[in-house]
Amino acid sequence: MAVIQAPPRVEPEPAPRRLLGWLTTTDHKKIGILYLVNSFSFFAIAGVFALLMRTELARPGIQVFAPHAYNQIFTLHGTLMIFLVIFPLLAGFGNYFVPLQIGALDMAFPRINALSFWLLPVGGLTILSGFLAKGGAAAAAWTGYPPLSEQLGTGQDLWIAGLILVGTASILGGVNFIVTIIRMRAPGMTMMRMPLFVWSILATSLLVILAAPVLTAGLIMLFADRRLGTAFFDPTQGGVPLLWQHVFWFFGHPEVYMLILGAWGVVSEVIPVFSGKPIFSYRGVVLSFLMITALSFTVWAHHMFATGAVELPFFSVTTELISIPTGVLFFIWLATLWKGKLRLEPPMLFALGFIAMFLIGGIDGVWAASPAMDFAIHDTYWVVAHLHYVLFGGTIFGVMAAMYYWFPKMTGRMLSRRLGIWQFWVQLVGFNLTFFPMHILGLRGMPRRIADYAPDRGWSFLNLVASTGAFVIATAMIIFFVNIFLTLRKPRTAPDDPWGANTLEWATSSPPPPHNFDSLPPIRSNRPVHDLREAERREIT
Amino acid sequence: MSAATTSEQRVRPEMSGPILGMVLFVASEAMFFAAFFGAYFTIRANASTWPPKGIPHLKIDIASILTVILVSSSVVLQMAIRAIRTGDPRRAMAWLGATVALGVTFLGLQLYDYSQLGFGVKDGTFGTLFYVMTGLHMAHVFGGVIFLSLVLWQGIAGLLSRTRYEPLEAGAIYWHFVDVVWICLFSVFYLLTPR
Amino acid sequence: MKPARPAVRALAGRLVPAASVALLSSCAKQGISPEAQDVHRLYVTIMIIAAPVFVAVEGILLWCVFRYRKRDDEPASQAVGGARSLGVFFVIPAIIISVLFPFGEATLMRIEQRAVPQVQIKVEGFQWEWTFLYLNEGIFVSGKTLVRPAEMVLPVDEPVQIQLTSRDVVHSFFIPDLLFKRDAIPGRTSTFTFTPTELGTYQSQCAEFCGLWHSKMTFDVRVVSPLDYQAWIKEQRKAAKSVTCEPQGTTLSMIAHNISWNHYCLAVPANTPFTVNVTNQDVGIQHNFSIYDSFFEKKNYFKSPRITGPASETLNVSGLPPGHYYFQCDVHGPAMSGAFIVK
Repeated sequence: MAVIQAPPRVEPEPAPRRLLGWLTTTDHKKIGILYLVNSFSFFAIAGVFALLMRTELARPGIQVFAPHAYNQIFTLHGTLMIFLVIFPLLAGFGNYFVPLQIGALDMAFPRINALSFWLLPVGGLTILSGFLAKGGAAAAAWTGYPPLSEQLGTGQDLWIAGLILVGTASILGGVNFIVTIIRMRAPGMTMMRMPLFVWSILATSLLVILAAPVLTAGLIMLFADRRLGTAFFDPTQGGVPLLWQHVFWFFGHPEVYMLILGAWGVVSEVIPVFSGKPIFSYRGVVLSFLMITALSFTVWAHHMFATGAVELPFFSVTTELISIPTGVLFFIWLATLWKGKLRLEPPMLFALGFIAMFLIGGIDGVWAASPAMDFAIHDTYWVVAHLHYVLFGGTIFGVMAAMYYWFPKMTGRMLSRRLGIWQFWVQLVGFNLTFFPMHILGLRGMPRRIADYAPDRGWSFLNLVASTGAFVIATAMIIFFVNIFLTLRKPRTAPDDPWGANTLEWATSSPPPPHNFDSLPPIRSNRPVHDLREAERREIT
Repeated sequence: MSAATTSEQRVRPEMSGPILGMVLFVASEAMFFAAFFGAYFTIRANASTWPPKGIPHLKIDIASILTVILVSSSVVLQMAIRAIRTGDPRRAMAWLGATVALGVTFLGLQLYDYSQLGFGVKDGTFGTLFYVMTGLHMAHVFGGVIFLSLVLWQGIAGLLSRTRYEPLEAGAIYWHFVDVVWICLFSVFYLLTPR
Repeated sequence: MKPARPAVRALAGRLVPAASVALLSSCAKQGISPEAQDVHRLYVTIMIIAAPVFVAVEGILLWCVFRYRKRDDEPASQAVGGARSLGVFFVIPAIIISVLFPFGEATLMRIEQRAVPQVQIKVEGFQWEWTFLYLNEGIFVSGKTLVRPAEMVLPVDEPVQIQLTSRDVVHSFFIPDLLFKRDAIPGRTSTFTFTPTELGTYQSQCAEFCGLWHSKMTFDVRVVSPLDYQAWIKEQRKAAKSVTCEPQGTTLSMIAHNISWNHYCLAVPANTPFTVNVTNQDVGIQHNFSIYDSFFEKKNYFKSPRITGPASETLNVSGLPPGHYYFQCDVHGPAMSGAFIVK
């Protein structure tokens, strides 16, 4: 039921008071938007870094910058994308929509929520400030392996400090989400009636509170080795370099699931809405989320197969097992599409693109899960392909689906459908042009993290193709930002429920009032707004 | 808003939001310390002798007193909780004050112990593990002392009662956790280290 | 549209999958050893499983987009799946995994088998080149960062055992044509065996990010006939032995620059104390000066502390009995070494 409400007439506040309002807000909706703005800003920075990298690698020989600069750029590209872009984008949508989707007034701890946000730009700027330090920014990759990370200058310390801030922020946020979801659901909303997006945020938050502290511990160990003379990782004093890898990846593998679960949640909302059918198996999605959450703690050493120092069959089995619930998710999404009535609006296009691209990224992982094969492709461009297919082809496509889906709810305006379709196709083409050739480059022996390569390796042409694709992706992003900019200048005319959707956020105005809901529909299933709409339709006929 | 209750579901007394939040926070802290214990066992397994050559023998006397102090502080804190549950906030605050005093004593005595040990944080892997792990634990004790002092202040100002003592309960969960971590540290460094 | 004739359809039915598999599997290297060929076979096996899954899922996706596009206002069927569908969904990937895992395990066990090695090489990675110490033949080969990649010469069809370690940070010994890599970790030696079966020169490089010149930390593996191998060993031995020099007083002047010494041969009179002035011109890089019996480092006669460049120090060394010794910088090992003659 789409009700067009006239926007309430409010006198616009004077600008400085508005700005102060944003700086001091504890409203989860404003904080959610702050998360998104922060993340897209860092996305632009880290994206420019990517373009710089691809410009350098387009042809053999040093063209743009010398290795030391390149090493800082790729380190910060990875670090910023993971910690300041992807995770906070999902956390931002979580902040905005979890309370709405469960019919709550706000998050459980609004002031801690604000603190969690503000630690992010501070942490991100701390990491970036490394460029001003002697010796430059951190340059040991986002994985920061010692002893290398113990050799570098102050930029590395700033990286450690920034990540500790960001990690603390995420742990506080994780606690906040779990308490909110467990304690603040509206009457009638049992756990098994919660939107799947809420389940994905719950699962993510469980991962965060159990895995992020391990990274914090590791970072403290690294800092202590660097500046306090300790011997955690220094082999000349009895330390164990591999210890870092175990600690880091014990966090690192759950981390990658923190980076995808939210997107799975979004896709699991968008596909049913734009297919006009319920999700094929709600229980199946919940079960898969929980299984993956648990299993993600058992696979970490598959990042260390090539060390020769880990139990290969065990980690190979657990890694392959995790593909089972992941496969189940694909089946459920496909079964939801099957015999549906598909509306190919931009949110749906991006969700379909997600399925198509994440499939490739997931299948890539199957090769790497077999240690004998991994010995050939570990630390090569195969892995770069795999990680971008899941994080970009997966999560970023999911984020774009979320943006187009939820933008009207957040701002009261519909993003341009035409620009959205253009963005989708340019992004899809650019993305595959950039990252598909990297599978072949990896198989041809091109290692990761190299600033340059020799012309006689047979890698030149594919690198040129990949670099071209990067600029196509940039074009898509420009279309995206133009869409947002143009749309924000339009008046607020979006209805409560422009998409004919299912969940509670669509039972209030676009954007919602500060107290979220004037009234709630009855909650008797996992699709309360759909149920209300159907009831009203039956009443009319 | 409270969690869904319908006529089909029994009403159960449930953990409040802030207490649940403290439990989750403690879970995250447990993982934090677990990483360091993991580091300990990894480095130890990799070493040919343990403790490494050159590390003087850890004497158990002061450490045992530290253990007694901390365990007593947890017991005393539970007495504070019992007191406030029976509607005696003044006695509860007395017990709480004793907890804080014991916590401060722990900190002071541990600093004294550090000065007597004969090896430092830069003395190889054992110095690294001992000082970093007990040092981080001390930081957590310090945080707990601050938290409980603030609760004590609230209690003295009359803000706690039989029906409202959540900060005390939350503080107690945290404090008991910090106690458990000490017992693990004591076991690992003093009981499980060969002589 | 006339349906294609049965014969053509049958041929296409066999040709298309075969061509696809051939095309897709050509992306991976064939491999120059039996172990590598096993890995290639594993690659193809996984491809045979993965490609149909890919085609099926993308196919269903595209089918749904075309077939189930909303064309009227009738509501869609609101069917949901029950426990049975969910069970099927779980079983299908489980079956795939249960086929895949044994293949992977079997391949792993085959490549981890250790034949009795004929050639044993200690490989040391350092920032940013490699040193290969041929343990049985008593020679070593070292690369020079940015100047000359290290070259590992191997006899064809002989099992080679590598004992791999690092002198500083984590590196990775990656030979793409062997479809294999192993990380070189300081403080740890990792051992593995392979048998190259094809003559040729194979470009290889470090695959674990190790700092400034990681991209240039390349090496070559040159597989030659057994006769050529013996000839090469002889040549290396001759070159090592031919290094000789005469004592010229009791003060030696050593400059470390670009991870090299300025002298490869030093000589002092027997049983006489002498001094060594070491100047480290490599900014931010540590060097030292040590004297051993040989590159096997069985007996150490002198070891100076490490100094970080730019810096200089003067070392006083007690007299040594006459003999043919070996000096090196311990940070970089044989890559920065030479003959130390006492006459």
